[in-house]
Amino acid sequence: MYDGEKMPDGMIRVGTDEWEIPVGYVPGMRVPGRFFLSETLAGLLEPGALQQLANVATLPGIVRYSLGMPDLHWGYGFPIGGVGAFSLDEGVISPGGVGFDINCGVRLFTTPLVRADIKKPRELIESLYRAVPTGVGAKSTAKIPKEALLSMMVKGARWAVEMGYGTTRDLTRCEEGGAMKDADIRAVSEKARARGIPQGGTLGSGNHFLELQEVSEIYDAKAAAAFGVKMGQVCCMIHCGSRGLGHQVCTDHLKVLETATKRYNIALPDRQLACAPAGSPEGQAYYGAMAAAANYAWANRQMILHAARKEFVRMFGMDYESMPLVYDVAHNVAKIEEHTVEGRRARLLVHRKGATRSFGPGAPDLPGDLAAIGQPVIIPGSMGTSSYVLAGTATAMERTFGSTCHGSGRIMSRSQAKKKLTGKEVADALLARGIIVRAPNEAAIADEAPDVYKPSSEVVQVVHDAGLSSLVARLTPLGVIKG
Amino acid sequence: MSYEELSHTADVKIRARAPTREGLFEEAFRALMQVMYGEDRIGNVTRTIDLCADDPQSLLCDFLSEVLYVSEVDELVFRDARVRLDGTRLHAVLEGEPFDRARHAMGTEVKGISYSGMSIVQDAKGYMLDILFDV
Repeated sequence: MYDGEKMPDGMIRVGTDEWEIPVGYVPGMRVPGRFFLSETLAGLLEPGALQQLANVATLPGIVRYSLGMPDLHWGYGFPIGGVGAFSLDEGVISPGGVGFDINCGVRLFTTPLVRADIKKPRELIESLYRAVPTGVGAKSTAKIPKEALLSMMVKGARWAVEMGYGTTRDLTRCEEGGAMKDADIRAVSEKARARGIPQGGTLGSGNHFLELQEVSEIYDAKAAAAFGVKMGQVCCMIHCGSRGLGHQVCTDHLKVLETATKRYNIALPDRQLACAPAGSPEGQAYYGAMAAAANYAWANRQMILHAARKEFVRMFGMDYESMPLVYDVAHNVAKIEEHTVEGRRARLLVHRKGATRSFGPGAPDLPGDLAAIGQPVIIPGSMGTSSYVLAGTATAMERTFGSTCHGSGRIMSRSQAKKKLTGKEVADALLARGIIVRAPNEAAIADEAPDVYKPSSEVVQVVHDAGLSSLVARLTPLGVIKG
Repeated sequence: MSYEELSHTADVKIRARAPTREGLFEEAFRALMQVMYGEDRIGNVTRTIDLCADDPQSLLCDFLSEVLYVSEVDELVFRDARVRLDGTRLHAVLEGEPFDRARHAMGTEVKGISYSGMSIVQDAKGYMLDILFDV
């Protein structure tokens, strides 16, 4: 953790909570870096994250700025909270701008319950824990045939719905309708497929979770009504990604793109930024495989949603249809999108690495009934802290290629977290606040203790104040299943 | 030979030391297994890995990536590895056992082996490695 008290030297303030990394901060920058951060969060910023943000600015074909959201922190390749848009003609595509967990993302569904309806919260958490395979080595309860895996990679969430894991309405509440159209399964190796088959519908580990929440504050009644979010309502948030299949796609293509980087004479400050021209065979192959992995992730989250809904039906006897999906967002992905740059529309390849799409009113890909509001943006808090629903904005479209933050951003390493508190101490402290935690092991709880993240309230306040998304509702945790 | 976890906010950063390059690879391998499965690991099943790569960093990254793959797909948890290096070629024999949820669900999945911040340096005492595992 960086324990400075102010913004590191050399950063130029360009707005209340907006800063610029000037060209020259690292050699070879083609554009400046821009990031959004309040004074209070500045002391938590690691120099490594700024270096990585500046590194992204050296990549060929980057448009306008290398962008950092207020949950900006030190990752690999791109920083986490990093956004980079590239010209399709002169720009590159890089797995370092997406990460190993392709289409790691979040979805939120509501229930007709209020907190008082849950008489036995421990029992509910335990039954959800049994219903959703969780943690290292957990295997899918669904038997996914090899041919079905191919459909999963092409159709994404639609495959899951066709198999009975959900409703067609769910698809209208997923970014991209739950499937990118450019998936190319030929670019997904046998190894990646072998890893994908046993893991459909599994949560994984690390920071992945399934959380039971209560809507505790409404900031924007009109948007909340459009999103179907009501005060006091119990809801459920799912955070996971493309599992071993996505990790293998990244590993495989990183190797190919490393060779391509040399072939196309691209100078890189970090090997993890290996890339190729967007239109090159290597770049296209990665894009197609990444889209297939993203689709697998949407199917995966759809299967988990279904498993959770079934537990609510079993325990509370309510209708399956009474638990609508609010929205599903991807926060590790690269997509071709149309944006306005210097007054002209341009198709760009937008990389979001730990950043959420925040499409505003009138943007493409929004369901008709949300066209005037903007897309729901779902920002999970750390374990034990509030999560938020926000709405996409026109300002995000103008300034950040329609992007906002994705979470709170870690400030403490796992080794530091374990030294500070044991998993049991963290779980007990949360229980004293009425939050039940269930995990495969205690260390998983210590790793993700609330103190290891920036305060989620401050991070979302920055994006709200900067206009990158606008606050709609606050959700407080009731119980969490930790992967 | 030893390894330790260094401070890194988002991921797991490991520093390993060994008198030989082979030993360094073995330490990195043990660190990976420790992060994923904890300490309780025995060895009654073997697997071999053979690969080649352009440079030592790629060789190590490819080796550990292959370990992740074999461990996940064959549902094996490895205790130890014997690594032989010959220029740009690697031959490794891994010793492990079938994954047992009761004993091995103690760690966290590693999603990938990163090149960011990876370094292998040699001094009078041998080799030192810094490497980042994405978790």
